[in-house]
Amino acid sequence: MKYLPLIWPGIWRKPGRTVLIFLQVSVAFALFGVLQGMKTGVEHVVGQTRADLLLVHGNLSLIDPLPLGQLQQIESIPGVKVVVPVELFLGTYQNPKDKIGIVAVRPDEGWQNAFTFQIQPQYAAAFKANRTGTLVRTGLAAKYGWKIGDRIPLKTTAARTDGSTVWTFDIVGLYDDDDVGGGNNVILINFDYYDQGRLVGKSTVSHYNVALNDPRQAVSVADAIDRRFANSSNETRTESLRELAQSQMQSIGDLNFLIRAIVAAVLVALLFATATMMMQSIRERTPELAVLKTLGFTDRAVFIFILAESAVVCVAAALFGLLLAWLAFPFAARFVPGLSMPWEVVAVGLGCAAMVALVSAAVPALQAGRLNIVNALASR
Amino acid sequence: MNFFRQLFAILRVNLAGLPQRLGSGLTILVGVTSAVGVLVSMLAMGTGAREQQLAEVRPDRVVLSTTGSRMGQGNISEGEVAVILGLPGIRKDARGEPIVAMQSVVPIQGRRQGTGLRIYFPLVGISPNMPELAPETHFTAGRMFQPGLQELVVSNPCRRQFMGFEMGDRRPLHGSDWTVVGQFDRGASQQCIVYADVKTLMTVLKRTTYSNVTVMLNSPADYEVLRDAVSADPTLQLEVQREADAIEEGFKPLNGLLNFISFFVGTIMALGATLGAVNSLYAIVDSRRREMATLRAIGFSGSAVVVSVLIESMLLALPGAVLGTLAAWLLFNGLSASPFGFSFQLSVTASLAVIGVEWALVMGLLGGLLPAMRAARMPITTALRAT
Repeated sequence: MKYLPLIWPGIWRKPGRTVLIFLQVSVAFALFGVLQGMKTGVEHVVGQTRADLLLVHGNLSLIDPLPLGQLQQIESIPGVKVVVPVELFLGTYQNPKDKIGIVAVRPDEGWQNAFTFQIQPQYAAAFKANRTGTLVRTGLAAKYGWKIGDRIPLKTTAARTDGSTVWTFDIVGLYDDDDVGGGNNVILINFDYYDQGRLVGKSTVSHYNVALNDPRQAVSVADAIDRRFANSSNETRTESLRELAQSQMQSIGDLNFLIRAIVAAVLVALLFATATMMMQSIRERTPELAVLKTLGFTDRAVFIFILAESAVVCVAAALFGLLLAWLAFPFAARFVPGLSMPWEVVAVGLGCAAMVALVSAAVPALQAGRLNIVNALASR
Repeated sequence: MNFFRQLFAILRVNLAGLPQRLGSGLTILVGVTSAVGVLVSMLAMGTGAREQQLAEVRPDRVVLSTTGSRMGQGNISEGEVAVILGLPGIRKDARGEPIVAMQSVVPIQGRRQGTGLRIYFPLVGISPNMPELAPETHFTAGRMFQPGLQELVVSNPCRRQFMGFEMGDRRPLHGSDWTVVGQFDRGASQQCIVYADVKTLMTVLKRTTYSNVTVMLNSPADYEVLRDAVSADPTLQLEVQREADAIEEGFKPLNGLLNFISFFVGTIMALGATLGAVNSLYAIVDSRRREMATLRAIGFSGSAVVVSVLIESMLLALPGAVLGTLAAWLLFNGLSASPFGFSFQLSVTASLAVIGVEWALVMGLLGGLLPAMRAARMPITTALRAT
């Protein structure tokens, strides 16, 4: 610590240069932070999705309809707590380009166990009591200025028995969703109201949500459900929310190579920039360093001063850059949900910064350490 | 004229002195190279994806889908199809039937060749007149599916990408087996396309409406005729789009995301490279203070000094653009990627190289601005005394 007064002026000898290199390193690590934050954020999100919530859908695809008759059969499988039929379709409100996801559920006893929604009890009760009622995601209600009690006509992809595709719902409450993949533009409606009113596809569902008595039985119950319908005309595939998230994220996996390539390019460019900066700085300061040595500082001390100078600048800048990335997350979250910066990323980032600093300063520091006092002073 | 003579004189001195300032020059070069390399390879994803999407588009093919529906998710009833068959502007085949193909799209799962990863891709139920609608289809093995039978025809890329698409392979689909009876190529397209008879597929899936309808026009100019006829008919709730527009709209979210990521990352990289260039040029200008002051003292103008520094900076950045584009081309061109489930190959094109050069020049220009000003503003007397 007592050498700090020697290192500090070295850093600020040319403020313009230091500020520029500081900014350059910050920018690079801001990028590093965002890219790594995306990657770990995605992994983190997958890990947090519920493994004890099963989704039963057609074996062929996610949108293949299943008959409502399977409901009781799934309920009878041991370990199953609640089964909720779910039908999905799309609608628009005023702006035909802005799609709203409509999720029809049957709000039977305990239905919320099979979802990740957060609903206040009075809203849940009102939703159950009102056939045409709808619960609106808080953000969506704010977007369109909807209030509880409003009637909203939505133009949808599903035809009613009278041929019209406009469905009207009464807003009875708001809800929020814990699942980051849940989507913001989503409303919940009553399955029975929808099923009785629609023209085609009556008594079919998009999928069933299943809650379990014991989360540890997820795998065995999922297998039992699929076995129950094996070789029927409606084979099922049962997956936990986590498995579903995993398979969706696999497709992003290809990008990992690209992310690594970008980070490598960034670090190489930084290495060059800091190395030239340090070399320049040493060349200009040769007489000063010689004076230091004349005063009795060892070769090793001078070597360490130079390394420390570069390390302080790089690590501080990296910290600042990671902070910038962290501040940018709420903005980036609009494109990639669930960004986060765990300590591993910060640690790896700072480690990289220290490495860049040490590698780039090694040669100049070595030169400084080996400086011959007589020659250096004479060159003045 | 005098200005240019001065400019060239200074430039010559500047460039001749470059080898002595190798470090600073290299910093600019490496910075710009990595920035341009990253930008170009990221953009190559976007171009590759677009090339793939629009590989076999024809101007005389038109897609009809339910108004407001997403690509492949419309609801077109038999009644509407009957009306569509009678619309004007549609080409007739040899038997005098209008070339109108109904489609029903269902995502099915397959497994990746090699890795065995599960992936969803579309199975398209289509009317048996598919070869007339898509004359670029060229069967390499087997035959077209027979109406009424549970048969599949697949494009050759499926065979390469997924398991279970060899001739005679049976794929379980909704409780029964479907047999692969034909394999085809479709121009340069690398998309996996699986076709089945639309009526058979819809019976099995218990569907009553089509996802969308594709028609062949007499000529591209008949698009307006068809569109006006559709909007004049109150029973049709349909959107009429040229094939290219329909595809473009379907892929808008993907392309938008790819472009956003590219320019976001590219901008940050460029910012870093520019800062590096500023630093290096300050160093270069500083180390030449005496030279510059001497030139000014013997009558060279300040503006010639400014412009010479700017040009030098851009000249240093330019090879970075070339190297960066080259690196992107060597490392990534033709690389298969399938982010978000859509397979394509990265494509580094000439227009991307132009973008790279433009960005490099801007980085050089912005990076050189402040150091150039300093070079010109330096008081001659103090600079001459500098060591």
